[in-house]
Amino acid sequence: MTIMRKALHRRSFLRGMGAVVGLPFLDAMVPAMALGQARAARPPLRMVFAYVPNGIIMEQWNPAYEGKLGELPRILKPMEPHRDDILQLGNLTHNTGRALLDGAGDHGRCSGSYLTGVQVKKTTVDIKAGVSCDQIVAKHLADQTRFPSLEIGMEDARQAGDCDSGYSCAYTNNLAWKSETQPLPPILDPRALFERLFGNGVVLSPETRARQADYRHSILDFVSEDTHKLEATLGPTDRRKLDEYLTSIRDVEGQIERAEKTNAQIDPHMEKPYGIPADFAEHFKLMTGMITIAFQADLTRVVTFLMTREGTSRPYREIGISDGHHPCTHHQNKPDLIEKVTQINTYHATQMAGWVDQLKSAKEGGGRLLDNMMLVYGAGLSDGNRHLHEDLPTLLIGNAGGAIRTGRRVVYRKETPMCNLHLAMMDRMGIHMEHFGDATGQLSFAELT
Amino acid sequence: MQFQQGKPAIGIVFDSDLGNGVDAALALALLYGLEGKNEARLVSNSTSRSNLKSAAFAEVLARFYAGPPPAAGGFGGFQRPASPIGMAGEGSLAGDTPVLKVVLEKKTADGAPAWPHSIDKLNDTADPVPLIRNALTAQNDANCMVTLAGPATNLVKVMDLPGALDLISRKVKLLAIAAGSYPDGRADVRIKADVAAAKRLFAEWPTPIVAVGTEVGDALPFPGSSIEKDFAWAPAHPIVDAYRANGTMPYDAPVPSMAAVLYAVRPDGYFKLSAPGAIGVLEDGRTRFTPAAGGRHRYLVIDPAQKEKVIQAYVELASAKPAPRQTQRFRPNQKKEAAPPEPAKNQ
Repeated sequence: MTIMRKALHRRSFLRGMGAVVGLPFLDAMVPAMALGQARAARPPLRMVFAYVPNGIIMEQWNPAYEGKLGELPRILKPMEPHRDDILQLGNLTHNTGRALLDGAGDHGRCSGSYLTGVQVKKTTVDIKAGVSCDQIVAKHLADQTRFPSLEIGMEDARQAGDCDSGYSCAYTNNLAWKSETQPLPPILDPRALFERLFGNGVVLSPETRARQADYRHSILDFVSEDTHKLEATLGPTDRRKLDEYLTSIRDVEGQIERAEKTNAQIDPHMEKPYGIPADFAEHFKLMTGMITIAFQADLTRVVTFLMTREGTSRPYREIGISDGHHPCTHHQNKPDLIEKVTQINTYHATQMAGWVDQLKSAKEGGGRLLDNMMLVYGAGLSDGNRHLHEDLPTLLIGNAGGAIRTGRRVVYRKETPMCNLHLAMMDRMGIHMEHFGDATGQLSFAELT
Repeated sequence: MQFQQGKPAIGIVFDSDLGNGVDAALALALLYGLEGKNEARLVSNSTSRSNLKSAAFAEVLARFYAGPPPAAGGFGGFQRPASPIGMAGEGSLAGDTPVLKVVLEKKTADGAPAWPHSIDKLNDTADPVPLIRNALTAQNDANCMVTLAGPATNLVKVMDLPGALDLISRKVKLLAIAAGSYPDGRADVRIKADVAAAKRLFAEWPTPIVAVGTEVGDALPFPGSSIEKDFAWAPAHPIVDAYRANGTMPYDAPVPSMAAVLYAVRPDGYFKLSAPGAIGVLEDGRTRFTPAAGGRHRYLVIDPAQKEKVIQAYVELASAKPAPRQTQRFRPNQKKEAAPPEPAKNQ
């Protein structure tokens, strides 16, 4: 890296020995005369879809009121500290998730159509969906960030086989579709994500990685020379920003290493990659921590995050639930099963609340990183017991650079297509499309603002 | 629960000016009667009256004719919620009518609403445009009829959606319109309410159209005497309340929409059809039929020999007791598949 008297480039990197570390937005990236203007300028917007499977206990998700958010229902209680940053949307529908003559398989359909807005082909072989809205945005922004998009997950990236009544696992295990036949599998392993974000693109074998681990403490060690050079040119504010940012990277790296060591001790033959923590919350924190860093360094502006795959039967022993998630959701109105699903839904919301905390704490351009985001937290089913595709649980978190007035619950008319939200979000990201999926028009930002 | 192969009963998309007289209400009652006999399925119900009471009245009728709920237990997917009622967000028909006021304001002896409903605000209703479009997407090809018993406001908006004309062409066998006078005659309020929409509908709707004019409604009215007699099995009946509110009893109500629904579901044995041609709409709301070989429009013609049979069908079907609905599920054809391809790689 060449340290220049003139402004540091926004896409500068710290490099060294196979490591490439992006930088957060620094004052030094703007010529001194333009600093005031830059502070006033709008930072880039980011679009995130964080997806939870198997629907939600809607009675514990929807408040009984509309308008300004006050006390939140049980599942969203963990979000209460963030209610001023949330827009809760009601009555959004994904018609293409419904059977539409294709019979059983609501889980396969709802995740396949969630961001594509099309009725996916019922098949385990010649899969066909559509280009997802995140990938439309990613393509549009491809030359502006190191990664057009990041696809993150926490469970099961199988791409073949039957995962729901004749629907390919490609539908349940992916959210992002680059073309109508090419889903983008999520990265599950924190180590793999870390190396993707901070490596130079070379995929290391486990053996090579192990040899590296023997002699290095941190990826930051590799870039220390560049770091010192850069620090010498920065003012105190930038030095503090850089230090906080690099510390967050080091924290993530440390967590990954601890998870790898712990997993090896628990079961050296476990099927999961050693970097995947056994604990859901720990895994979640690692993955979302790296998404936050990726946004801070402007490595990408588009992320899909499949928390667990649609239709998952994962148990949640972390909170004392040994039954599978999916079987519990077919509760047949039995109170004990409803309680278990409610606890799982609340547990997910708790993790999300922690992430939102982090996004609010991360500073950017004189404000908060969250202020420059549209983070959709939702599901492709509402009632998992009945497999309903209407009134999908949808939180829009962050105000898109001030474009959206949050802190409210807005309930649209029934059958309002979810794709209307996608269309509106793409518009905010700078892609002005007439049609997408089964949209009947943009979700009115007049109603949102 | 039994899975059946093949097509279910024909789906009916019903869009009306419900509450504007009793024509549309009686047509809905007839349709529910046909549904009880598994001859038809009401797949979408919407009103072009931008009045919550119209939508609420539709919900009252739906609840009344819904019959006993399915048995609890089993897979929850078999227990579907009631379909939403679509309502135009705007339009010239918006005011209250005696029918709507009387039915919805009626109280029981203890002061509770006689006809409870859940529609109190706009977002309790569905946007009729995606509602109708979505209903069509769920039908087998050529297994759906659209019946219009009101202005064409909602239907032309559906036509404007991307791909809608192709969807309609594939799914809909026929559009039956209860509006206008044929071959010509006086202007109909349903046309006058949205002349521009009516013009577009007749000009651009991609399937055959059969129009039912006011002359059919006038010549084959619903017998008021039936209201006192055939509906008496129910201690209270929303159709009876609506009928009484609409005029001074006894009277016979013109019901062109009943004819449209009856023809749509039972095309044979009740009516005759005109020669093919084209229906045009004049600026003042009058309709004109011009015969033309190969034309896609026809109008319904009364068969004098079948008058009694038609009236009998009106009465029997509209006054039928709600029947338990058979929740039918149909298996799609299963195809054999080849070996799976290589999994896609991350970018």
